[in-house]
Amino acid sequence: MTSNKVLVIGGGPAGLEAARSVAELGGEAILIEKRERLGGTPDRENYAKLTHHWRDASEAMAELASAVTSNANVQVKYQAEVKRMSGSAGNFEVQIEAGGAAESLNVGAVIVATGFQHFDPGRATQYYNYYSFPDVITLTDLEKMLKEHNVVRPSNGEAPKKIAFIQCVGSRDRQIGNEYCSKVCCGIASKQAIELREQLPDSKVFIFYIDMRMYGYWENEIYWPAQEKYKVNYIKGVISEVLRKGDQLLIRGEDTTMSRPMEVTMDMVVLSVGMEPSAGTRAVAQLLGIQQNKYGFIEAGGTSGLDPVATSVPGIFVAGAASGPSDLDDSISEAGLAAARAVASVRKVMA
Amino acid sequence: MAVKYEKVKAVEKEHAVVDGVDVSGHWNRMFEQRVIFEYTPELIEKVASIPNAESFANCYQCAKCVAVCPVDVVGNYGPRKLYRYAQTGTDLTEAPELWLCTTCANCLRVCPKEVNMVKIMPAAREQAILDGKFVPPELQQAFENTAKSGNPLGQPQRKRDAWIQNAGVPIPIIKDLGRPVDVLWYVGSYPSYHPRGIDAASAAARIFTALGIDFAVLGKEEKDDADSQRLAGEKGLFEMMAEHNIATFNSYEWKELVVTGPHELNAFKNVYPKYGFERPVLHYTTFLARYLDQLKPLLKHEVNVKVTYHDPCYLGRHNGEYEAPRKLLEAIPGVELVEMSRNRENGYCCGGGGGGMWMDSFTAKHTKMRLSEKRAMEAASTGANVLAVACPFEVSRFEDAVKSTGNEHVTVNDILELLDRSMRGEQ
Repeated sequence: MTSNKVLVIGGGPAGLEAARSVAELGGEAILIEKRERLGGTPDRENYAKLTHHWRDASEAMAELASAVTSNANVQVKYQAEVKRMSGSAGNFEVQIEAGGAAESLNVGAVIVATGFQHFDPGRATQYYNYYSFPDVITLTDLEKMLKEHNVVRPSNGEAPKKIAFIQCVGSRDRQIGNEYCSKVCCGIASKQAIELREQLPDSKVFIFYIDMRMYGYWENEIYWPAQEKYKVNYIKGVISEVLRKGDQLLIRGEDTTMSRPMEVTMDMVVLSVGMEPSAGTRAVAQLLGIQQNKYGFIEAGGTSGLDPVATSVPGIFVAGAASGPSDLDDSISEAGLAAARAVASVRKVMA
Repeated sequence: MAVKYEKVKAVEKEHAVVDGVDVSGHWNRMFEQRVIFEYTPELIEKVASIPNAESFANCYQCAKCVAVCPVDVVGNYGPRKLYRYAQTGTDLTEAPELWLCTTCANCLRVCPKEVNMVKIMPAAREQAILDGKFVPPELQQAFENTAKSGNPLGQPQRKRDAWIQNAGVPIPIIKDLGRPVDVLWYVGSYPSYHPRGIDAASAAARIFTALGIDFAVLGKEEKDDADSQRLAGEKGLFEMMAEHNIATFNSYEWKELVVTGPHELNAFKNVYPKYGFERPVLHYTTFLARYLDQLKPLLKHEVNVKVTYHDPCYLGRHNGEYEAPRKLLEAIPGVELVEMSRNRENGYCCGGGGGGMWMDSFTAKHTKMRLSEKRAMEAASTGANVLAVACPFEVSRFEDAVKSTGNEHVTVNDILELLDRSMRGEQ
């Protein structure tokens, strides 16, 4: 039986925006979310402020969520996962499990918005010692501290005086298998560096990088103020290893623009971990039978290459970081496009 | 194969003893540590917190400045490097690098972040002077000369107009004239005292006279503009001279102020307004280009030379005058004008600006050759046999440079001298 309903898988920014847009376009959406809460990774990982509009992340996610929960044309199912799917565009039979109970859904189109997960720094080929040294943390660890206004060295509970960000951890690396740029880490590290300087004005903050990739307005809204106003030190040359020196961390690398080796002590090292497809993205891609690229992200672009929300299966669309590293602006834009395509697709079948 | 010049940043401890061996001297730089053990953002801030030097902190290391920095061509320099030196332990206010910048402004021309060395350097130098840090002795001497004698050469003030006697035309001194004039001609220190400067000044006097210009000079009342002293860090001295000069300028009636030198142009046109002096100021090339129609019939004699013209930084980049000097040269019958590869906006600095005029010995210790030598070689490579200039600093600088680089076949002439030669024939 054909259906005009659109199934949205994932309750993060992309999924929320897709569901809302489907409803606003006059369609009916069913949103399923694995967790018991909406808001996706920004919520789960305790994001503090959003790059690049500096909005409070909880507040912004709550807005996106309430636009969905207050909409009569969106049905939200929590603690829900896809188990099986059959059919084709206009008539998909989807078996889900929601709150422990099996359920069968008949939908006309599917939007996959299952997102990403942060790279596990234990997999880095460099000796960053994330799991050995308490004061080596990740962007997400720091984000939580910033949110709580409690940035301290995990080793001793004291405020760090010297903090180094190491860029491209888990990204742009053939050996690790993630050859792509994760796109957002330069901006997030710079945003966090600004917040660090606001919360700890006496701290010295360094960002060690290969290239600073500050797309579009991130350049003038984040990068330039970070350096010019907040006095963040950008040093070209990524760190090769983090060692222990007394109760501090010794970072070793090359200061490339000085062509000199560098061995500098830090109180805290922040690994700018990149994006990988989430477990949910990998699992859903398998269940739905949609093509993944060599990195495990959902292959998008369609045959024309100009349809960033098309998957290999007609009637199934993808939005946000499920198809590759993506910032919030991109995720939201793709969600809107995916909603438009999904609604158009069911209308075509219904007609 | 050319020897690759690799100049490491010098530590230059004045006294160093290693294993009982005294290795004092600038060559002990070989003991400089290579590993960076600490970053020192506070030393960037030390500079950036000086008023007018704020933009020092804005460098994002694109390095566009380095390739166009004239000092880097003969050494290891460039604004983006100064930022890194500060970040890695160098206190710029006590480093030799503080004194190498000629404020030529080519870096600022290309800088996406508008890091302004033309403001940063004078401010940092002034701070160094105030803090009693090292100042190159020869520069100190030029400061003292200016303060005592009214000119950096240390020549007596009473002889400032002595050159007038031999100019071959009467040169009215405004005080003696006792009436308003159209043009007050500020001659400048080097044209008043330096033998080759006097040649240009005398030529200018003859040209002005031939054109029937109603002009006069200040004579013994004229004092140095001190703009280069300001850029070298002596703002106080500059203000003292400005006070004198402005009072002198204001005590006479005239319509336009014409200057022989680009540094004077910069002082009177761009800096004196901050001190309340806002009057029309023209470099002689701009002024004479206005008289081209009257001038051309006077240029009767062929001057059969191949000329290349060196854009003075303070006439070109700082004040935007590129065409007037070329128009004047092209007006001279027989002159073939050829361009050096770096010209106009991208002209290469002679090394004389920003106080470099008085720091040649100091600069020589930190560079592989003089900027004037590099430029002289560039001029010679065009095949020109005359290097034409329009700044009184340059004649002496380039005459030394053509000799020291084995290019004696290139004659250095102020544009004024070439015009005068065409007007009067070979003397």
